[in-house]
Amino acid sequence: MTTSTIDLTLPYKTRVQDALGNKHLRTALDRSTGRMAGQRVAAMTAVDGQLLRDQVRQMKEHVIRNLPDLLEELERTITANGGHVHWAKEGVDVQRLVVEIARKANVQKVVKAKSMATEEVHLNQALQSAGMKVVETDLGEYIIQLAGEPPSHIVAPVIHRRVEEIAEVFQRELDMPPTLDPQVICSVARGALRKEFLSADMGISGCNFAIAETGTCCIVTNEGNGRMSSTLPRVYVVVMGIEKLVPTVEDAFLQYQALCRSATGQQCSVYLSMTNGPRRPGDTDGPEEFHVILLDNGRVDMLAKEYGEALCCLRCGACLNVCPVYREIGGHAYGSTYSGPIGAVISPSIHLEVTDVDKLPYASSLCGACREACPAKIDLPRMLLELRRDVVEEGDAPLFDRQSMQAFSFAMGSRGRYEAAGKLGSLGSNVFAGMSGGNIKFMPGPLAAWTSSRDFPPLAKRSFREQWKERQRGRKSIGEGKKEE
Amino acid sequence: MTHKKQFDSPPRRVALFVTCMVDMLYPEVGMATVELLERHGVEVVFPAEQTCCGQPAFNSGFWEEARPLARRFVDIFEPLVRQKQVDAVVAPSGSCTTMTSHFYQLLLENEPAYRERAAFLGAATFELTEFLVDVLGVTDVGARFDGRLTYHACCHLLRELGIDRQPRALLDAVEGADLVAMTGADECCGFGGLFAIKNGGISTAMGQRKAQNIAKSDADAVALCDVSCMTHINGLLSREGQRCRAVHIAQVLTNQVDVAARPASDEVAPESKAAPRRWQDDKVKG
Amino acid sequence: MSARDEILDRIRTILSRPELSFPPVEAPPLTADERMTVTHAEGDAAALARRFGQELEKLYGSYEILSSAIEVRLALINRLTDWAAEEDAARKGPKPETFGQERMVLSWAPAQLPIDGLAEALADMQWQLVAPDKLTSPEALEKVRFVRFGVTGVEAAFASTGSMLVVSGPGTNRSASLLPFRHIALIPFSRLYATMEAWLTERRAAGELVDLLRTRAGWNMITGPSKSADIEMNLTLGVHGPKYVHAILFDDTRPVISEAERAEIARLMALDDDE
Repeated sequence: MTTSTIDLTLPYKTRVQDALGNKHLRTALDRSTGRMAGQRVAAMTAVDGQLLRDQVRQMKEHVIRNLPDLLEELERTITANGGHVHWAKEGVDVQRLVVEIARKANVQKVVKAKSMATEEVHLNQALQSAGMKVVETDLGEYIIQLAGEPPSHIVAPVIHRRVEEIAEVFQRELDMPPTLDPQVICSVARGALRKEFLSADMGISGCNFAIAETGTCCIVTNEGNGRMSSTLPRVYVVVMGIEKLVPTVEDAFLQYQALCRSATGQQCSVYLSMTNGPRRPGDTDGPEEFHVILLDNGRVDMLAKEYGEALCCLRCGACLNVCPVYREIGGHAYGSTYSGPIGAVISPSIHLEVTDVDKLPYASSLCGACREACPAKIDLPRMLLELRRDVVEEGDAPLFDRQSMQAFSFAMGSRGRYEAAGKLGSLGSNVFAGMSGGNIKFMPGPLAAWTSSRDFPPLAKRSFREQWKERQRGRKSIGEGKKEE
Repeated sequence: MTHKKQFDSPPRRVALFVTCMVDMLYPEVGMATVELLERHGVEVVFPAEQTCCGQPAFNSGFWEEARPLARRFVDIFEPLVRQKQVDAVVAPSGSCTTMTSHFYQLLLENEPAYRERAAFLGAATFELTEFLVDVLGVTDVGARFDGRLTYHACCHLLRELGIDRQPRALLDAVEGADLVAMTGADECCGFGGLFAIKNGGISTAMGQRKAQNIAKSDADAVALCDVSCMTHINGLLSREGQRCRAVHIAQVLTNQVDVAARPASDEVAPESKAAPRRWQDDKVKG
Repeated sequence: MSARDEILDRIRTILSRPELSFPPVEAPPLTADERMTVTHAEGDAAALARRFGQELEKLYGSYEILSSAIEVRLALINRLTDWAAEEDAARKGPKPETFGQERMVLSWAPAQLPIDGLAEALADMQWQLVAPDKLTSPEALEKVRFVRFGVTGVEAAFASTGSMLVVSGPGTNRSASLLPFRHIALIPFSRLYATMEAWLTERRAAGELVDLLRTRAGWNMITGPSKSADIEMNLTLGVHGPKYVHAILFDDTRPVISEAERAEIARLMALDDDE
């Protein structure tokens, strides 16, 4: 693509600057996020959305409280269905397990349906290093794979690209004639990917939820690539986080509807594909081998560090779409597989190598729009606040922040110091304001981060408390007097 | 969260938690708050020991630094309510009310005694518009505003305290005000405390989006309930040379809106000087 | 210690901490009584059929409702003929090589379709119903690769969302509703439910939900044609699965021939005998 993408390994500050300076990126985000957010609101208000969120929350709390038992139940049911269950503590364990499965089955070509879990453990690179061809088959994922980029959104991986840029990639990589018609781009992808599906040996997908009582692994897709990947190749591998469980079939259908409404504003996705093991005797089609890999990779740490609430996440992306920060900088600036508010919360716990991960909890104005949108009612702002506390307690906060906060706390710690600071501030700020005629146009040091783009008012010449004192002169009031020094 | 205190008889006396920003930057908002309360028969006392609730430190992760301020705040206000010297605490800020009535529960988690006192105090602490509408039962305060007025819902007020209907009801009753809608009225202005400094670029981008939406609404003034967001929005409007300004709702409700008297209004881009100055045309002077 | 035991032991240890703030100690499961039905639909079978069709149409699918099973064969042939003509008319370049698959219809085994004699009826109109035993090798798939049309029945269909449930099993392949460009689903009223929740409730009450799910390897709930919004939120159809989905809903709850009709036929046949 013509415009440079954001290098995820660069420092946070640079990533954000690059994102803010990328006009095309911001146009693309602008075109998409607002629309997705609007569709979600419409879909959640068309039904009893509050009740739906309450019920999803209740169900997820039950799941996490009973996680070990449910995982054991799932293992039993999948095995009884003829599938194989594997456990992975770390990302590298997933890589090793999948490569082993692939080698044993003599796999040459792998087709993948969109999956954040495999993205998280860099599975593609591992399979490619082992000599296999890996094809991403979700249209958005396919586009960014052709362009050599990681996804930037949980459900809309190529949200950061305009149609012009996508068309350019297809012209270059697939000899598509020049066009900006998404339908034409789509049919070119259909043709190219159909060949891959029909000749693939292994399909890999994530798992939106697995049903403990039946051992059913469910994936939610609109394009049908999930169905293709779970139907056509000889071997089908599911990689799922250990938290993505539901107890019963009915719970699965409830969560499914909450997920669709929150992710894309649909009543139902086009496909809900549910796999119960390999194909059975007499079946015409379906995989002959079925594997499920249960992945920890920091999820248990999340529970241990009191961020277990984030395990309720359905990965719908609703918090990204409503986040005013995500809307300005997109997913890549977060530098992690998981972006947006949920990404800022889980990236420090998930075993990922993210540059400046301790900056992510600060990439939020704490406006609370994410919590309002979350179908599992996850209190993301509270966790962001607690993560900031952790950063400070672990001594990772910048020295300037620490010193100024200590000074702030000291100044605000007594009325005398507070009033003195106010007086000084008033004098000082009025000097700055005087220099620029009314409003402050320039402040020194780190405060320049404000005045470089925004004015600041001078402190009042006479504070409220001074005016109040005058007004009350002669009157006796309760709060005063008693505490007067 | 906290269950708000119920009043058997109308509250007679309240303690004003003026907030440090209003105290130092916008004393007129504090005065307007006092005027609104007194006009409805509520006596106002001002505990002069009050400083800052500690939110800037809490918000940026410095909980250790925020705790002494939280305890101090509780020590100043809680006895007044406990000993029935006042019926309630009122603040002209959704964000500072959120800090003291919600976030203290998190901050003081490991100090049960203070936490309980903070909860008791939080239940009796009201944001100004909430107090006027829900407690005093007032929506028409007799204000007048000749011009187009829009409303920006500040984040903590809207999403932590759930206050939205109250300020809108108060503005609805302002005589002469032409209430206009604004796209993204409930979207963050990008202030977010130290976020505005630490993530200055993102914060500015969010603020510019807000400023564009304000411009598109063609309002003469944007009323809101927090001077922190007001500072941020006005910082952008002023820098961009827009005529519209954000004003605290208490100023609108006391007919104080007179931008000609504000230093900021001198800072209009030269080309717009010739254009009619809506703020100076203001006929509502008190 | 295996990775499995390490993970499970660690979660159990953490969950036993009394001060753990999440999840709450009391976390009851969602019960059948309290679980909500997300979208509702009401009315008799005909009303539900209309609702199903309306929902499907909103998603760029199409439908028709027939008052008896007898009409289904003709409706299917008409639909195939129309679609074939549509494709011919829309084609810009030369006709692509279809390796003799142009008049094929990928299908479930005839015995699994809700209408008898479909293969024969189609054959009369030079359409070939193809229901392979095995579609598990690239070679087998190659033989149906250019088939444009697919026909299936459904396990169940849900009116409130316009969704259909298909399931793998002997004679019910997964490919017919997935690989072709156009998919026709035959939906008898007897398999039409108001909501997915209603179906779940009925199966659960009959004590067969878990076994039903587990005895079949592949389930799919299909709601409309394949689509994507990946390119700047523009709707594109037929990304991988069928671009066209057509539902033929028909009333199978009444006898195929009414008593009056039966009497009339008997009378006419008696006349024949007389001649």
